[in-house]
Amino acid sequence: MEGCDCKFMAFLVILLATTNPSGASPASVSDSTTTMHTNNWAILVCTSRFWFNYRHMANTLSLYRTVKRLGIPDERIILMLADDMACNARNKYPAQVFNNENHKLNLYGDNVEVDYRGYEVTVENFLRVLTGRHEPAVPRSKRLLSDEGSHILLYMTGHGGDEFLKFQDSEELQSHDLADAVKQMKEKRRFKELLIMVDTCQAATLFSQLHSPGVLAIGSSKKGENSYSHHLDSDVGVSVVDRFTYYTLAFFERLNMYNNASLSSLFNSYNPNLLLSTAYYRMDLYQRRLDDVPMTNFFGSVMETIHTDSAYRAIKDSKRGDIEVAPDHTVKRILSTTDSHDQTSDENQVQQVACPFTRMLRNIDGMMAQVKDADKVVNYGVLLMGVLLTVSSLISR
Amino acid sequence: MAETEAVKSNPRPIIRIGLFFMSHSLLVSVVCYVAGIFALLLLPILSKNTYISENALMPGSASPMLSNDDVSEANRFMNQISNLDSSFSRLRIEVPRLIAHHISAMGGEVNHHKFGPQLKKQHPLRFFTIHDPGTIQDNFTCSSLGTNTIGIIRAPRGDGKEAILLVTPYNSSKITTGEVLALGIGYSIFSLLSRVTWLAKDIIWLASDSRHGEYRAVTAWLREYHTPLFGGLGKLQDELCLEPSSFSEGKPLETIDARNLDTFRRAGTMAAALVVKVADTSSELEKDALSIYAEASNGQMPNLDLINIVNYLAVYGQGLRVRVEKMYSFLHSHWLKGLGGVFESLGKLAKSLNPEWNFDISIAEYIEGSATLASSLYNQALGVPTGSHGAFRDYQIDAITMEISHQMSSNYRNRQNELLTRSGRLIEGVIRSINNLLEKFHQSFFLYLLTSPNKFVSVGVYMIPFALLVAPLPVVAAALFSAASRISSEGQVATSTSVKNPSNKFRSWRWLAAAKTVFIVHFWGALMTLLPYLSGQIPEFTPATGVWLWIVLPVISLLLFTFPRRKGSQSSTAEWMYLKSVTIAAAFIGLSLMSVINFATAEIGAILLVPMCLMAAPLSIKIQSLRTIVQGACNLIFAFLGFPPLTFFVLKGAIQDLESTSIGEFWTWMVSLWEWSSATYVFICMVHLPCWALCAVTLLQRS
Repeated sequence: MEGCDCKFMAFLVILLATTNPSGASPASVSDSTTTMHTNNWAILVCTSRFWFNYRHMANTLSLYRTVKRLGIPDERIILMLADDMACNARNKYPAQVFNNENHKLNLYGDNVEVDYRGYEVTVENFLRVLTGRHEPAVPRSKRLLSDEGSHILLYMTGHGGDEFLKFQDSEELQSHDLADAVKQMKEKRRFKELLIMVDTCQAATLFSQLHSPGVLAIGSSKKGENSYSHHLDSDVGVSVVDRFTYYTLAFFERLNMYNNASLSSLFNSYNPNLLLSTAYYRMDLYQRRLDDVPMTNFFGSVMETIHTDSAYRAIKDSKRGDIEVAPDHTVKRILSTTDSHDQTSDENQVQQVACPFTRMLRNIDGMMAQVKDADKVVNYGVLLMGVLLTVSSLISR
Repeated sequence: MAETEAVKSNPRPIIRIGLFFMSHSLLVSVVCYVAGIFALLLLPILSKNTYISENALMPGSASPMLSNDDVSEANRFMNQISNLDSSFSRLRIEVPRLIAHHISAMGGEVNHHKFGPQLKKQHPLRFFTIHDPGTIQDNFTCSSLGTNTIGIIRAPRGDGKEAILLVTPYNSSKITTGEVLALGIGYSIFSLLSRVTWLAKDIIWLASDSRHGEYRAVTAWLREYHTPLFGGLGKLQDELCLEPSSFSEGKPLETIDARNLDTFRRAGTMAAALVVKVADTSSELEKDALSIYAEASNGQMPNLDLINIVNYLAVYGQGLRVRVEKMYSFLHSHWLKGLGGVFESLGKLAKSLNPEWNFDISIAEYIEGSATLASSLYNQALGVPTGSHGAFRDYQIDAITMEISHQMSSNYRNRQNELLTRSGRLIEGVIRSINNLLEKFHQSFFLYLLTSPNKFVSVGVYMIPFALLVAPLPVVAAALFSAASRISSEGQVATSTSVKNPSNKFRSWRWLAAAKTVFIVHFWGALMTLLPYLSGQIPEFTPATGVWLWIVLPVISLLLFTFPRRKGSQSSTAEWMYLKSVTIAAAFIGLSLMSVINFATAEIGAILLVPMCLMAAPLSIKIQSLRTIVQGACNLIFAFLGFPPLTFFVLKGAIQDLESTSIGEFWTWMVSLWEWSSATYVFICMVHLPCWALCAVTLLQRS
């Protein structure tokens, strides 16, 4: 009986391996620490409805503004807002949202792209965004198209409790759901590092089930604690920002996108006396030291540009065009090709690029990667530069 | 066989408990009744502080926007009203016109609503329905019509599905300064709200003409609001009573089209209604005060959250002293003071035993709490609304009356402005808070008693005394029934040893005779209910006649009920026991039903009815011991106290003075209950009176 079980298991494993949609067998999973940080994504979620939860939308919009200011482009931000305070009839300032009673900064200006709004913000949609399992009709702008080199910031705010976060006053995201989604993301190589930032009551409990490496989590309060709002805007008649987010924003307001402040300086900036709760961060799943990680790793964006031969590579590549036109392929097939392309592009790129400059850069990159003792190379390089400098200054005299 | 034997001797625990209670029914009833009264007296201590239960309300989170400009505008408006020609016929036309003019100048929609006086006649078949046929009797004259003025502000970005109502009653036949002030408050708020951008619900300002009573004006308007009339009388009235609009000298009101004024305007469903009044007499306190009246018909209350936000904003926002009604005679009662002292020392003792037991209450607090509780209980039990807010409860709208009274002061002018500002800001705050509401009021309590403006006793607590009071009834009924059947079976065995006696077969049906009596008496009670309707048909019917009728009819019928019993049978003991048992069962059913309809009535009714029913025993029992003497005396006392007219006068004497009371007052009181279609009236006539009569019948029986 046991032998039969084993056989069956083996068959299952083979079946799973062959049907893996990304086409990557488990054996070929590379260690995430060696992949390069390629891009930054942000998922910002406000989960609560109703006018009296104005502050949650203001929180999310403030963070949206911050990450945009620090360099994450709009197409890499998924913004989910469960209600529309700006157009609420009770809003004294129509189409404006403020996070401070001084009303200096309108968070709901011209360039706000809300990807999921109102009743679209559900647990289901949230998990779909994380795991990338969408209906075929969902546009690219609503998808998290990250790869294994992505750094993702996941910010959530709303009403939470012990191991759950309330969505829309009707459903809950449990810590198990979140951990499971993160695990799936890891397996599908959708991120390199993930920072989860949660501003709810008992936020720390939401992280308790996480197991995937590369995840860093910070919450506004520990188990049994409430997260409080920062201040009331007596003109609008509601609380406009939560304490944790307020002090996070206060930290970021001092920075610009070239700043090298580390994550630990952000984490240490939270003062429990001001927050009226204890900010909790979980870093046992995270390999790097927080002192070494600039906060722009999550809140900013990598500024690397990749040269390509042509903007319209797809047209030249006639094979792919055939696949999409071919009638016997299902929609799913098309989707999987686009998805898998994003994930495998880094490996394929070396063969595909034809531009000589890019090729040279790639070669040098490859050679540099093979150099064993980098320190020695650098030292020699500095020495060589000193020699060159003296020679050139002698000549110019 | 052995098994069935065991089952018989060992019934299920619940039955055993029931049997145990039945065998100790006297002890159970005494303990339960005393505990019930004690729990009732404990209620002021068990009251909790109110809290705002609905998150969305957020009272006081927005700063008030009502400015001095609004107040001075309101002052100008009030001066215009005061300067109007005070002759009766002019005032009736001019005040609504002036208000309408101002409303349309502020950009609100406006219309007039005309209504006639209420029909006095009421059909008994339509007791609980809203008793307004909507038609005006044929002999109405134009001058007898009242005119409500309605202004509506549409929320600029709202969905137009909900509205908040503001009512300012005034008497168009004689307008007082208080009413002018209330109109001024309404005006200032309306002018402010017509400019704000944050409205999510429409605002309706109803300047109701209270010449036919405040309640009538509001009911008539509400009825028309909820049941649209197409064509018919509305049009007819307008044509008949075309007012001389061209005569308005000095004030050309061309902004309003006269025809538009008569199209009835509506907004959405009403989220809440505030009736604003200003007392003509100044408050005896140092501060400006706000009195809250909340009781609607049949003891229905608005959601506690509405009272909470008004109380919160008045106390913390505007620094007003908030009051709810209380029984002032209770404040000086000595026995209450003594009781408070006992509770105070008990509370201290409890605290010294365990610091976490917080039953601490001072004597003054206890007396204050019980006076308010008594008033709350009384007003709910009466079933008559305490103001025009009562009309809203019939349409499931939460409403309260806010009566503002100003402090005594010599500098009247300044004080008036301050009063306008304060009350205007208070009402603005309340409206803004209700405006934040997403659904109907539903989070907080609907069933509660107030012991102070910020303390309440919830239904879960005040159920306990009632449950304790009525608990003995089924137990005693069952005990009596089993005792009676035992006695009658013994009698049967004694008289006829033959087992095959056919009457033996129906031994267990003997209670049916008693049930028949009980049914007849209850039917007679139902006929007594119709007395006010019949009296309405008779011309020249004075209240005193009514009272005599009320006294004579029961006594005659009592004799009729008891006379046939005089014939007697061999086991009359069993007979009265059956009768008492069925009476108690009927009383229990009546009280339980009433507790669903109007809890306070059932509670007060139970205090009287339960001992009366439980004590009843034939007076002709031979005087054997002190116990029977005491029982007989108690029976007589209860039989006299339980008779409704006597109960009324005794209670009135206990609370007020009897000096100014005339004999007809009872009849007027009953008729007013009848006219307000109070369930208490039905209770008195169909539960209390029959039970009293049955107890009296039991007393007069031969044992």
